[in-house]
Parts: sequence; C-alpha cells; structure tokens
Amino acid sequence: MMSCKDVLDSISLYLDEELKQEIKSEIERHIGKCSDCRAEFDTFHMTLKLYRHSDTPQMPAGCHDRLVKVIELEKMRAKRGGAEPDTTEV
Amino acid sequence: MAQDLKTIPDEALVARAQEEDERAFGELIQRYETKVYSLALKMLRNPEDAEDVLQDTFLRAYRGLKSFKGHSTFSTWIYRITANSALMKLRKKQLPTVSIDDADERETPINIADWAPGPVEQLLNQETQEAMADAIEALPAEFRQVFVLRDVEGLSNADVAEILDLSVAAVKSRLHRARLKIRNHLAHFFNDTRGRRTMGARS
Repeated sequence: MMSCKDVLDSISLYLDEELKQEIKSEIERHIGKCSDCRAEFDTFHMTLKLYRHSDTPQMPAGCHDRLVKVIELEKMRAKRGGAEPDTTEV
Repeated sequence: MAQDLKTIPDEALVARAQEEDERAFGELIQRYETKVYSLALKMLRNPEDAEDVLQDTFLRAYRGLKSFKGHSTFSTWIYRITANSALMKLRKKQLPTVSIDDADERETPINIADWAPGPVEQLLNQETQEAMADAIEALPAEFRQVFVLRDVEGLSNADVAEILDLSVAAVKSRLHRARLKIRNHLAHFFNDTRGRRTMGARS
C-alpha cells in the first residue's frame, strides 16, 4: 500500500510518464481516496501547466540590432588580430 | 541565397560559419536569439541582465566556433553557454539566492487548498505571472537552471542533463525539489489572493 509520502515523492515521475503502469494505477487509486494527496497532485500538475502556458518573452526593440553590432565589432577585432582568447568549453 | 540558409540544418550552418561564412552565423543568431533571451530572462528576470547574457552568449559562441567539434548539438551548446553565463551573472550580482543545501522542499505549505480545478487560462493573469516569476526567483540558482530549462523551455531531462553536465538522475532529483518549492510558493500566493478576495467581499 502506497503511503502519502510515496505518492508525493512520485508525482514528478508520474507526470513525466516515467512510471510503470502498475505504479501509476496505485497512485491513481490512492489519490482517488485521499483528498490531501488529490490536492497535492492537482496543484502540482497545475503548477507545471501554468509555466508551460506562459508566454515566450519577446526581445526588446533594438536588442537584435545591438547584438549584431557586438558581433560585428568582434569580427573587426578578430581581423585586426586582437581577438579575445577562446575560453569557451566545447 | 539568404532563403537557402533558412532551410539548412544547424550542423551545416555551423560548418559554414566555421569556414567564415558570416551570413551563416547571422542565421544561427536568428534561430536562437529568442530562446537564449527567454532562458536568460526567466533565470534573471531583469531585461537588461538578460540582454547582457544574450550578447555574452553569442560572443562566446562566436569566439568558440572554430573549436566547436560537434560533440553535442549546437542547440545544446548554446543553451549551455547561456545557462553558465546567467549563473555567473547571478553570482556576480550576489543576488540573495538560497543555497541548495538549505532548500528543504518538504516545508509543507500551511494549507494546500486545491486551487487547481478549472482551466489554466482562468488562473494565468498578470498577477499570477508575477507570482510565477517570484517563485523562480526564490529558487536556489542550481534549481532555477533545471526548472527553467525543463519546465519553462520544455527541454527533455536528457537534454537538461547534457546542458548542465549532470546525470539524468541528478536532474530528476533537482527538478522534483524545484517543482515542490515552486508549487508551495504558488499555493501561498493563491491562498493569499483568495483571502484578500474573501475579505474584500465581506467589507
């Protein structure tokens, strides 16, 4: 028999569909009977839905142009032989 | 010709950019700048900081392009640079983040009233979006990276693990703890909001 703590610990895996069907069924049976775990489960699920529905922020006006300018300056610097050392991990 | 660039895969674009086809790097910017900006903004919240991270990320990518061997996809690589740059920014600003060790996610909320029934659109107003941003801001930086990449940007656990150089098990563990903290934060917010509405209705 699954405890409330077991259910709480498994909510992420349940929602990410990483549990075997028998465990999923056990969780569903538990939350069918336990109103606290039902609330835990529903609010957890709704939390993820809220973030997944939130808008992708748009870049402010001029942001793209400023970025292109920064890269252009870097190209010019590199051509003059003054490039910054590459420290980027690849 | 510019039209052609739009249809070729990242790997081919990277190869062209490595051969100093400048338009190819421009196309990579076009493809990824919104994603990079979005990730940075969600992690840092401040548009100026997000723009700094955007510029830093593409500068590092440009400088590192020649030595990029394609061991990971360009997408993973650019996300990794972004996540690291944003993390450095957080640390440099010494924003008051909670340490990962202090982040006890089992702090049970006072009362998890079941605020979830109903469509998501009904809850997703401006005030809720502010609370959602507050909730991310209250996370320790290491949890914040995982949560934003996985649950806001929608990447897979495997991709997040590769980007952050963590095991998939570590991603899952941090993700669950981050989600609990976020949910608890929102539970407090919705309890407070409902409390205010109830008080308002009584007065």
